Amino acid sequence: MDTLLTAEIVANSPRFRRKSSTFVDAIHDLPEKADLAPAQLYSTESGRLFHSGRIVIITVGLPARGKTHISVALARYLRWLGVKTRIFHLGDYRRATIPFGQDMPDDYFFVNASASSVLLRQKIVKKCRDDIYQFLNHENGQIAIYDAVNPLASGRRSLAKEFAKHDIEFCLVKTLFIESWCDDERIIEENVRRVKISSPDYIGWTSEDAVKHYLSRISARIPHFQTMEEKELNYIKMMNAGERLIVNNRSFGYLSHRIVFYLLNLHVKTRRTYFARAGVSLESDSYKADASLSAQGEDYAKKMTERLLQDRNAEKQTMIEQGETDYELKPLTVWTSTRRRTIETAKYLHERGFKVRQRSQLSQMNPGVCEKMSERRIREEYADEVAKHELDPYHHRYPRAESYHDLAVRLEPIILELEREQNDLLIIAHESVLRVLYGYLMACNAADIPFLQFPRDEIIEIIPESYQNEARRIHIPDLPQEIIPASPEDIKIPVPPSGVVTPLFGGLGSPQEGLATPQSGFRTPREPERITQQHVEDVV
Amino acid sequence: MAFQVSVPLLYFGGTLFFYLSAILGVYPPYFLCALLYFCGSLAVLFTVSLLCPQRVTVVSPFPGSHFSVQRNQTRYFYRKTNKFGIQSDDSKICVVMVGLPARGKSLIAGKAMRYLAWVGIPARVFNVGSYRRKQGTPQPPAEFFDPQNSEGEKMRQAAAQAAMDDMLRWFKQDRGVVSIFDATNSTRRRRQWIYETCANAGIETLFVESICDDEDLIMNNIREVKTTSPDYRGQDPEAAALDFRTRIRNYEMSYETIGEQEKNFTYVKLVNVGSTVIINQIKDYLSSRLVYYVQNLHIKPRSIWLSRHGESEFNLTGKIGGDSGLSPRGEAYAKALPSLLKKSGVPPDTKIVIWTSTLKRTIQSARHLAAETGYEKLEWKALDELDSGVCDGLTYEEIADKYPEDFAARDEDKYNYRYRGGESYRDVVIRLEPIIMELERSENVIIVTHQAVLRCIYAYFLNTPQEQSPWMEVPLHTLIKLTPRAYGTEEQRFKADIPAVSTWRGKGTSAKHQDYPADLKK
Repeated sequence: MDTLLTAEIVANSPRFRRKSSTFVDAIHDLPEKADLAPAQLYSTESGRLFHSGRIVIITVGLPARGKTHISVALARYLRWLGVKTRIFHLGDYRRATIPFGQDMPDDYFFVNASASSVLLRQKIVKKCRDDIYQFLNHENGQIAIYDAVNPLASGRRSLAKEFAKHDIEFCLVKTLFIESWCDDERIIEENVRRVKISSPDYIGWTSEDAVKHYLSRISARIPHFQTMEEKELNYIKMMNAGERLIVNNRSFGYLSHRIVFYLLNLHVKTRRTYFARAGVSLESDSYKADASLSAQGEDYAKKMTERLLQDRNAEKQTMIEQGETDYELKPLTVWTSTRRRTIETAKYLHERGFKVRQRSQLSQMNPGVCEKMSERRIREEYADEVAKHELDPYHHRYPRAESYHDLAVRLEPIILELEREQNDLLIIAHESVLRVLYGYLMACNAADIPFLQFPRDEIIEIIPESYQNEARRIHIPDLPQEIIPASPEDIKIPVPPSGVVTPLFGGLGSPQEGLATPQSGFRTPREPERITQQHVEDVV
Repeated sequence: MAFQVSVPLLYFGGTLFFYLSAILGVYPPYFLCALLYFCGSLAVLFTVSLLCPQRVTVVSPFPGSHFSVQRNQTRYFYRKTNKFGIQSDDSKICVVMVGLPARGKSLIAGKAMRYLAWVGIPARVFNVGSYRRKQGTPQPPAEFFDPQNSEGEKMRQAAAQAAMDDMLRWFKQDRGVVSIFDATNSTRRRRQWIYETCANAGIETLFVESICDDEDLIMNNIREVKTTSPDYRGQDPEAAALDFRTRIRNYEMSYETIGEQEKNFTYVKLVNVGSTVIINQIKDYLSSRLVYYVQNLHIKPRSIWLSRHGESEFNLTGKIGGDSGLSPRGEAYAKALPSLLKKSGVPPDTKIVIWTSTLKRTIQSARHLAAETGYEKLEWKALDELDSGVCDGLTYEEIADKYPEDFAARDEDKYNYRYRGGESYRDVVIRLEPIIMELERSENVIIVTHQAVLRCIYAYFLNTPQEQSPWMEVPLHTLIKLTPRAYGTEEQRFKADIPAVSTWRGKGTSAKHQDYPADLKK
């Protein structure tokens, strides 16, 4: 294993396996310790699930067909299920190996390339494959996603052979090809426009010319492309962004079928997701009573609507100023839970003609016996439960209550529908639900999810980019202080760790500066660990 | 949104009613006029409150006599219009089977229905053939299906119509979610008709076509159908097979596969039992989930054997949960399992895979079987016994003693009851989903697992309703053999001659394990 080479790649590439800030998607980071994933149902000693063995997923498709988007989305979902997955973008290795500013040789992708190009190509590919083997054989990895163009049938056949040969522990590595195939010019152009021409090469170009130039460059560089017809290989062909799927199944296991299931719901177009809290209601701390919005809640609903629409308009303006004169916002769809206060928060949007859907799965976490209890009473009456909760706030459930894990499993249909949705989407729901959905979209650690905070004066916007998602906060001005805190009317889950003075911890007392947002309220992976250990010492 | 109604407006409503009665030629006596005015004003208030969602305030010229009608209290309107006229999401789907006879359509239909019911989605199969049988052609000859036979064609259309009517009624009255329209639906015209009829009723269609050119599989199906199909019951098997093949040929004449003209339809094409699958225009989550399920199916003949572990140390003392070893009698069962399996009838040259949970008692129970037969063995964490949380390691008596409320609550709704810190049957069903998918993909499997898990798996294959499945009797030391057939699952039980304690307890009875009452046995 040539670790030095890998280190060199890391050093050379600004984008390669970068560490995410908390406001950036963590999909390319590997969790440092083996933690249960948010929706993982069980764990095994080998770290591999469903008796599915190890799988290499290989993407096939010309540039600008959404390959990277598919691999990232798929990895996100598999990780969510607890499958150890990592993406290997060949492009990253190429960029890391070819020094910045130096263009790659023109015949790099040619079949009959010059000797030096072939050598370079082999060097890059070897580094990438070595990393894949390292991940599968020594890091308990289960699925490696190899993101590359793979244009030729012969190349794909030999790839499959090579991975199949590489079995260690008598366990075959299976290969599954996923092709993204597209003949709809509009989809390709949109993809190019969105991700490819933002590069410095195209500064000062009109977007139309840039798209044309980019596409002609692709066809000059990769003149031969064969779509997948190899009957002896496992493949999934996605046509025109999910309009049709062709599955060639030689030996599918549970996991492969699950991947097809996910791809059925995926499309390669991108759209934004907004998260907003529901307004305050009349009987705020009751779960069972389905109360209406209070006057303050109504006021919040109005201001939130205005701020959101204002922000969207501003965004459209900037795009137009940047030269995209025919830029149109995607239509906005609103999802609420079936609880009254979320429906009523969406009222103003509905009145303006936005489509509102109620989804029963979005209802908040069931607080069980803790409903309407003050934190002190919970501590007194359920001291042992509180102790357990502090050890594992993600998985522990109070009597008759749901845990975050239950919630994550219950939200599975919502997550798939979230991927399916083509319009921009605003989700108005309880904080507990927002935490889990945010955790999915930003690949958060399960241990961090219960501590994410969504103060009411902020709308969270998730902007998808093909490589990773980014989150942005939209501040809602002029809201009364008392309704802002992250979880005032929340059931008292999570109960703050003992040892911390109660009002200090965000969400329960007054809002604390710096604790109120997902960014800063986020705990680094090490922090919960430390608290847990401390706590163990306290208890034992 | 609040809306204000002034008294003059109410007065106007009263006058309107008054004139209305005058136009109709009714001049009511004086005291009734007041009533008429009153009704009129009420009508105005009613109309306004219908139009305006939240709160209607009546402003009167006299101070302090305002009153308001708040919509929130009128639940009826709330439910009906969903408040702002927002549609909550209830997609309804009609799954339409397409394919020649003997392609496993009814098998797929029946399985999809059971799967949906198992995960809690109301589903029903509408088999056009059974409507045809009811309409007077219980056992029609092959000529009936000749495309040239206009009489037969007419009757088949009538049967399809009757099935469709019933299906639409079911959607409307019984709040159905997924219906499965099981027929050959082999012509484009017929499919267009189904599509349009469903679209008019606000139901999405999902066509599932099964194409098969593997002669062995078709022959197998023919053999199966002639023995189990109601169309051939009581007939000479050879004649039946011949007739059935003629029927298939008649269908082949007019068969049109789903093609480019239907590219706007949502459809799945399964070629040779899922070795190639084409999925087109999936529009919602539920359809994608169905497609996911259907992809896992195969129609090769196979059996599934279910067994609990042998009697364990905990069983002897009546404790639940835990990870104890086998009792001597349990060990005897483990030794007897290979011969019991043989007795149940294993076709020659069959490969069986053994699945156990990760707990000691199932691994020990399957130990001798694995050693003697050399079958492949898999341990599934998902097959572990229902986690009884704080009650793990207690007897029912101790639970009733320590957690009386919980004990009662569990009897009340055993399917949904979740042990403190543990699981409910519903939770078990969720974690068993991967197992079920894998089971559908596999061929012959013997599963050695625990009571609650076995009940859930059994409920999936035999469509046991959720209220009943947690109370089902699954005795120790008994091997259950399930063989899926086109028209239902066949069940056989084989008892090993080794005594064991009972671990069954009736609903609402004392906190003790007891024998399963003889009169409840089939």
